[in-house]
Amino acid sequence: MKVGFFIGCNTAFNRPDLEQAVRFSFPLLGVELDDLEGQSCCPSWGTMPSVDLAGWSAVSARNLCLAEEKDLDIVTVCGSCYGSLGEVRHKLQNDPSLKEKVNAILKGSGRNYRGTADVYQSVGYLCQNIGLDKIKQSLKYSLAGLKVALQPGCHSLWPSEIYPDREEDSFHPHMLGDMCRALGAEVVDYSRLTDCCGMGGMRSADMGKSFDLLTVKLNSIKEEADPDLIVTGCSSCLIQMDTAQLPLNKDKKINFTIPVLHYMQLLALCLGAEPQKVAGLAKNDVGAVINKIRGDGNV
Amino acid sequence: MINGSAEIVYDLSAGDPGFIAEIKEMGGEELLECIQCGKCASVCPMALAGFPIFNKKLIQAIFFGARDILLDDSSIWACQSCNRCTEICPRDVRPFEIILAMRRVAVRELAIPTLSIEGLKSLYDVGHAVYLRDAGQTRLKVGLPETPPTVLASPEALKEIQAILDQTDLREIGLFPMQGNGMADASEV
Repeated sequence: MKVGFFIGCNTAFNRPDLEQAVRFSFPLLGVELDDLEGQSCCPSWGTMPSVDLAGWSAVSARNLCLAEEKDLDIVTVCGSCYGSLGEVRHKLQNDPSLKEKVNAILKGSGRNYRGTADVYQSVGYLCQNIGLDKIKQSLKYSLAGLKVALQPGCHSLWPSEIYPDREEDSFHPHMLGDMCRALGAEVVDYSRLTDCCGMGGMRSADMGKSFDLLTVKLNSIKEEADPDLIVTGCSSCLIQMDTAQLPLNKDKKINFTIPVLHYMQLLALCLGAEPQKVAGLAKNDVGAVINKIRGDGNV
Repeated sequence: MINGSAEIVYDLSAGDPGFIAEIKEMGGEELLECIQCGKCASVCPMALAGFPIFNKKLIQAIFFGARDILLDDSSIWACQSCNRCTEICPRDVRPFEIILAMRRVAVRELAIPTLSIEGLKSLYDVGHAVYLRDAGQTRLKVGLPETPPTVLASPEALKEIQAILDQTDLREIGLFPMQGNGMADASEV
């Protein structure tokens, strides 16, 4: 099995430990990664999608072409990339005149978008194509005794109709929880599970409002679930929830710290990855979580 | 988390009668399906965070032709693109598409946040809207090559991206100089 790895700007430049986690885990589960050399920005929402529909679609379609030219699907750990590429794929499937415009733009580069490559997010891809049993059997360490709260991420869920790895009920998602339980973790519920983390356009527009939104969510997590760890399905949620806790503590908006990892980092740790490589850039100390995973009697 | 914004008063006589057609043209095709039921607002992070104009109110303001008022408010740029509204809308209005359409109208009036211009410029200059100059060191720290196997490592790929962007409305709008090496564009005025 082989899939194109769409890295995404934030993962490549901001959290390459997450990139390492993907590069470590996928092959161990029998999935070879193709680098889709020359891939660009998806492009993200505040750029081309906000300027020009055909222009947005052309940049995305070029990225999709890189995979379809190799007869591959795409997998990404970033919700925005998943959404932007997925939306364009969906639009091009349903709008022949847009597809014509896009192919006219791509013609100069010698490309022709056909629409054969599907776009998956990492958790959904592994859940569907590898399955919980194979993941369980591949683990070197288990998360037994670890309480995790989930942050699936907006783009992993909506609009569900465009995604090949959609949830049965997108307002009550279960895939990320199933995948965490497969690692042996206890998944603890809280009422604001599907609330937004506040990253993205909102943080760019007004950091105060973005952080206030996150504060409500973090308080809900702490008071109702009190987990050892927050597990995200999206690199943007990872960055927001990990970095924002420092200023929120400083400003006395919250008085606790909860470590945050993307699911792929947690999976890589359970598969035996070197912690520094796959989780070495976490802003909030993940040492206790890693010790719990790799500690005595847990091999 | 309570909406602390001032109430917006619309002067209905100042409405722009062509505005609905403009929004539809820019991608908000299902606009007129909206019955203002408010389900989109009930799930909108912008509404929860207290931005004055969120999906439902944006659509209502478009119905009124309140083009100038909307151009003066930057709320649309705080939209998370999360598509909760698209998912829940019982009329398939696709409210997020209407936010994008309004952004496209605003961009043509040069009403666009600096961060978006920077992102677009970065997309054109290096192929990534988000690019951190010292990222190479961060990558080395976790054992990855300094440069990822993206457009950053491929001058040909960058030329291709620039050639694509040169054919979009971006060039006509003129938010920043587009002088890539991808295309012979010396004749451009």
